Amino acid sequence: MKKRILIISCIAVFVISAVWVACLQTRPEKDMRLVEIISDGKVLYEIDLEKENDREITITCNGRKNIITIKDHEIYVSSAECPDHTCMNMGKLSDNGVPIVCLPNKLMIRYKESGGDIDAQT
Amino acid sequence: MHRPDTRRLTELSLLCAVSLIMFIIEMQLPPVVPVPGVKLGLANIITVYAVYAYNARDAVMIFFVRIIIGSLFSGNVIALIFSICGGLLCLFGMILIRRFTEINMIVFASVAGAVLHNIGQTAAAVFVMKTTAVIVYLPYLMLSGCIAGGFTGLCAWLIIKRIKKKQP
Repeated sequence: MKKRILIISCIAVFVISAVWVACLQTRPEKDMRLVEIISDGKVLYEIDLEKENDREITITCNGRKNIITIKDHEIYVSSAECPDHTCMNMGKLSDNGVPIVCLPNKLMIRYKESGGDIDAQT
Repeated sequence: MHRPDTRRLTELSLLCAVSLIMFIIEMQLPPVVPVPGVKLGLANIITVYAVYAYNARDAVMIFFVRIIIGSLFSGNVIALIFSICGGLLCLFGMILIRRFTEINMIVFASVAGAVLHNIGQTAAAVFVMKTTAVIVYLPYLMLSGCIAGGFTGLCAWLIIKRIKKKQP
């Protein structure tokens, strides 16, 4: 009996997360292009990607630098002084609402939502 | 089962060393999916094995030695917070599951542990980043956790089967 509960819950978690990922990936594009750059819980920049010229922003947190590049109305992390470089590998900020984060340097780049935080539900 | 203390100490140290080697090998692998926190978690093979082959106290000790020395090796101290939060939840879940099921459920226990690990990680990320927006990553983490946890559990199961054969 306990065996069955365990197997069923494992399969359920797998299916739910797969569906959830599929929902996130196919979420419709937003027309809003307002982007926030958040460091250590504080909003440092608010950028309208449609109007913004190509430039680079350097953000320092705990003595480590992240260089954010805006090019052709797209935003990405071009250089990071952290051990894992996940934020660089994430590429450009995508339209489906998944933010770019750099956990070691507490940096986050995301589309601004009108209702505060991005809701986890889809 | 009573074993001499020296033997137990040696076995536990050996397991710590093996899991650290796995941890370092894994650091050299390129990230598969560009989502923070997604990892194969090779070192967790030893954690799962320890939960099933030793008692809860030993498993917790191996886990702590591994993540503390591991974070020194990788130089990523902030990752330590995520590892501790995720790992403790994962260990707690797996120890609980081990009490109620037999050893043939090890793969599913490992999957459950991996998912709990991801939930703990995300909770730590919410705390560190001071925003709930990182919860968006949870489904990606859980999906990868199911796959990685299944793989880890399978490896641990194979180790347990082989070692049992050798021991008198």
